[in-house]
Amino acid sequence: MNSKLSYLWPPILIAALFLGAWQLLVVVQDLKPFLLPAPSLIASEFSNGATLMWGAAFYTGTTAFLGLLFGTIAGLFMALLAQRFITVNKLVTPLAAGLATVPIIALTPILNNMFNITSRTPRVLVTAIIVLFPIFVNVMRGLIQVNPLQVELMRSLNAAPRTTLRILRIPNAIPFFFTGLKIAAPLAVIAALVAEYFGGPQEGLGSRIASAAANTAYGRAWAYVLAAIITGLIFYLAIIAIERLVTPRSAQLHVKA
Amino acid sequence: MTTTFDTGSALAISNVSKVFNKGNENEVIALSDVNLNVHTGEFISLIGPSGCGKSTLLRVIGDLTGFDSGSVQVSGKSPEDARKERLYGIAFQQAALFDWRTVSKNIELPLELAGWDKSQREVRSAELLEMVQLSEFGNHRPWELSGGMQQRVAIARSLAVDPPLLLMDEPFGALDEMTRERMQNELLRIRLDTGKTIVFVTHSIPEAVYLSDRVVVMSPRPGRITAEINVDLGERTETTRESDHFFHCVTSVREALRLHDTSGTSTSSFRGEV
Ligand SMILES: Nc1ncnc2c1ncn2[C@@H]1O[C@H](COP(=O)(O)OP(=O)(O)OP(=O)(O)O)[C@@H](O)[C@H]1O
Ligand SMILES: [Mg+2]
Repeated sequence: MNSKLSYLWPPILIAALFLGAWQLLVVVQDLKPFLLPAPSLIASEFSNGATLMWGAAFYTGTTAFLGLLFGTIAGLFMALLAQRFITVNKLVTPLAAGLATVPIIALTPILNNMFNITSRTPRVLVTAIIVLFPIFVNVMRGLIQVNPLQVELMRSLNAAPRTTLRILRIPNAIPFFFTGLKIAAPLAVIAALVAEYFGGPQEGLGSRIASAAANTAYGRAWAYVLAAIITGLIFYLAIIAIERLVTPRSAQLHVKA
Repeated sequence: MTTTFDTGSALAISNVSKVFNKGNENEVIALSDVNLNVHTGEFISLIGPSGCGKSTLLRVIGDLTGFDSGSVQVSGKSPEDARKERLYGIAFQQAALFDWRTVSKNIELPLELAGWDKSQREVRSAELLEMVQLSEFGNHRPWELSGGMQQRVAIARSLAVDPPLLLMDEPFGALDEMTRERMQNELLRIRLDTGKTIVFVTHSIPEAVYLSDRVVVMSPRPGRITAEINVDLGERTETTRESDHFFHCVTSVREALRLHDTSGTSTSSFRGEV
């Protein structure tokens, strides 16, 4: 157990040093909280408002989760459709680059007008659209980047395209899918949070950060940021846990090698 | 090896030509006027410098690529019909096993696609695992096996539906010399047990001579057959590789290769010189 956890010590030590230096800087330089609040202030705001933090994180986390779910389903569906038409891997990279430049978050005010602004719907929608792209691009890559010898083998066995999809392409795409999910999950939390800046219900982390900052409660604003970081981390770790569950460890290592 | 061929034709290739990128500046004549006949049960090797069209010829036979002119008959059928009837098994230089399947499930893949039911598949894969001497490894994952073991799995997979013809594209190319010689003996044993017709691509002259009844020498630009050398070594034993007759055959093949080697450098592409 000791050796298993030993890899945890270096990051913990670095984090402790970093926080110590930060605290020291704020105290020695007598920095005002609007410039940079001390870690101790953020920590006390965080523990004082724990139930509020938890509620806000839960609200935004729910938006992020729903967006992640719908975005993933849509991305998978699109990738399965598209692989029938795009069979050349070279096309996927420019496609990915092109899609990455679309400023989707800018759609939020428009979606707010299209849907009921007092509901969660426009935020979930924006999150889903943002999630869709990394899932689509990565899964697409996994469906197309198959060993050409295995494709020939399937042909030699007289396999229909849909059989090749089921037996070769989809299993091949699973590690790529998780790569996409690991990008998409923290992105979903950021999207759900930023979408709250454009009006609507005020229960989420984004709304709380904005209103705390507007009220010059910088320690509290930073405490909500901390809650947002933790929420993103939970999403990321959940994906890693599912990945471990679905693919055996050795398989993951092997596929990446 | 006492090889008595039945008179059946496993493979009849006449005047086959194949051009890649026709009409554009990258045009390559991969096969030019190729003629080749193979009897049922015969073992032939295709040998020649890199780029002479060995893999292309194999892929034409397997209907993995088309050809521009001439005719190809596999057991009297068109390559497409032969493929659809699963009349051949194929193995490549890389084992190309599916990482997400166990060794047994990899071997069962062709059976699955041919619609065998589960219990039949399991019986057959156990049989094949025994044939390639990997019985204890059925439940392992491919990456847990050595290169030679993986290649044996790939060969077992190519034999799964018991096709009369085996196409092998440098299946031992990535193996070390010791493993390679062992695999050659195993292949000969399998051939003796099953009586398959085998078309085997290799870069190694001794390997071609040791395995084959006939060595077909090819040469590039344009890819064509330039010589056919009959190897009558009889039954292969431990001393076959050291016999004078073996050296004689190796020399014949080497000379046939040199005859059409105009570049003067391409002999360096041959591995496994004696
Ligand atoms: N898909 C393709 N598109 C264009 N040219 C091709 C293609 N496949 C093969 N060629 C060309 O056809 C020629 C014969 O290739 P082939 O792979 O059959 O050679 P080979 O004898 O198997 O060589 P090696 O020993 O290196 O495997 C080469 O010049 C190659 O560049
Ligand atoms: Mg080749």
